[in-house]
Amino acid sequence: MIDWPAVFEAELLRLGLQPGRARQLSEEATQEAADHAGTPADLFGPAHLYARHLVAELNAPDDQRGRQRYAPGPVFLSLAGVTKRYRRYTVFSGVDLTLRGGEVAAIVGANGCGKSTLLRICAGLTRPSSGAVRRTRRVGFVPQDGGTAGWLTAEEHFTLFGAAAGMVPGRARSTGVHLATRLAWRPSRRQRAQQLSGGTRQKLNLVLGELHAPDLLLLDEPYQGFDQGTYLDFWQQVFAWRDAGRAVVVVTHLLHDLQNVDHVLDLGGGGDR
Amino acid sequence: MTAFVVANLSTREVGRRWAALLLVAGLPLWFYLVRRDLAGQSTRMLTLGIGWAVSTLTLFVVNASRSVDPRLRLAGASVVSIIGGRLIAMTGVGLALVVGYWMLVGFDQDVLHLWAAGLMMLLTALVAAPLGSLIGALLPRELEGALALLSVCAVQMLADPAGTIAKVMPFWSAREVGTYAIDGGSLEMVWRGLAHAGVVWLLGTAGTLAIFQWRLRIARYPEP
Repeated sequence: MIDWPAVFEAELLRLGLQPGRARQLSEEATQEAADHAGTPADLFGPAHLYARHLVAELNAPDDQRGRQRYAPGPVFLSLAGVTKRYRRYTVFSGVDLTLRGGEVAAIVGANGCGKSTLLRICAGLTRPSSGAVRRTRRVGFVPQDGGTAGWLTAEEHFTLFGAAAGMVPGRARSTGVHLATRLAWRPSRRQRAQQLSGGTRQKLNLVLGELHAPDLLLLDEPYQGFDQGTYLDFWQQVFAWRDAGRAVVVVTHLLHDLQNVDHVLDLGGGGDR
Repeated sequence: MTAFVVANLSTREVGRRWAALLLVAGLPLWFYLVRRDLAGQSTRMLTLGIGWAVSTLTLFVVNASRSVDPRLRLAGASVVSIIGGRLIAMTGVGLALVVGYWMLVGFDQDVLHLWAAGLMMLLTALVAAPLGSLIGALLPRELEGALALLSVCAVQMLADPAGTIAKVMPFWSAREVGTYAIDGGSLEMVWRGLAHAGVVWLLGTAGTLAIFQWRLRIARYPEP
């Protein structure tokens, strides 16, 4: 007989939930079935279909369901006294942040204040001049622009980034297509990245950042080129990631984004003068 | 695994740039046609054209992927698999060029040792890919990289083959193996050419990997 909770948990993981959250949902489903003196299959139907239904529910916007906040998980990112200097010029200094799974942090500030630099430091692509950084190993990074190969299709990007993360090509493609549909985008098999609109290319960027199911997502103003509807979908997606137990850092200069985020890191005035 | 996926997709990427690919594939042909009446000159110029074409193509491919590589590293790919994959792809493109032009020379010229002419082109294509990637690693901007390659190829063409300058140029192996292929003589020239190509390939590959190992390094933060 197929182990329903194991199949259910595996499908939740495949759909991008964090292991702890998937285990918790699997145990809750098993417990609920036991309370009704039945099996999970009798109560919920096939495990993989119920998993998809549940994830769709988690991703639904606030006005479609009461958004439940879960207790924050383990610390995925910790910055203590992080400073960045270029020769004598100090970009920022003494930045502190502790971000747990299930939390969203926004980095705000004027142009040139070092928002993107700080995000690159979080990713490990740039080194801080001083201070301590601790972060989880599984990290997804979405740059402000670029980051894709113009002559490759979306599915080829999924294959490439999936291979980098150790995924077999078929699974990488199916996961990528699935994640794209959550951003209301159905990738064409023939269309190359350079033929995509700016907003759709950013959706591709987001999917690539999420493809290997990272614990920590670092997003550098990823909504450039999004229309209003997609912009709102993006924030719903951020909150869905949060509810799935991930930690999310978003660089933004739009102050009205800041409601509902857990931490706001203001880097202040900029260096561009 | 990752290296082969990178190689496969890099080849597809290049294959879709029809105009660039045609211009690059045609470059050695112009070199060849200019001195077609002389078997030695035309074959050597053709070979240098292959070297220039493959190294330029590699330079542009390496530069075009500059924004993708850090993300691949963050996703878990090693520098060796990313850069190695691209070198495999560009070497493959070079080999395809070599096969085509070797057949052309075989049909169109009276060459003493045709196999050695093929070896000359093969060594040049093998050396050209790491040379292009090394210049791409050292000079991240395309214009600067292309000008540097132009300088290298021009010096290679103009330098006295017996002089020291020619010997430190990356495609000197073609000169040695080519002399045996066209004019005959001692097999020692072929071995010297093989050794020179081996050293240049090793330097180019190791240099490229070392620079990208540094450029694509990810800070190893402790876990919280």
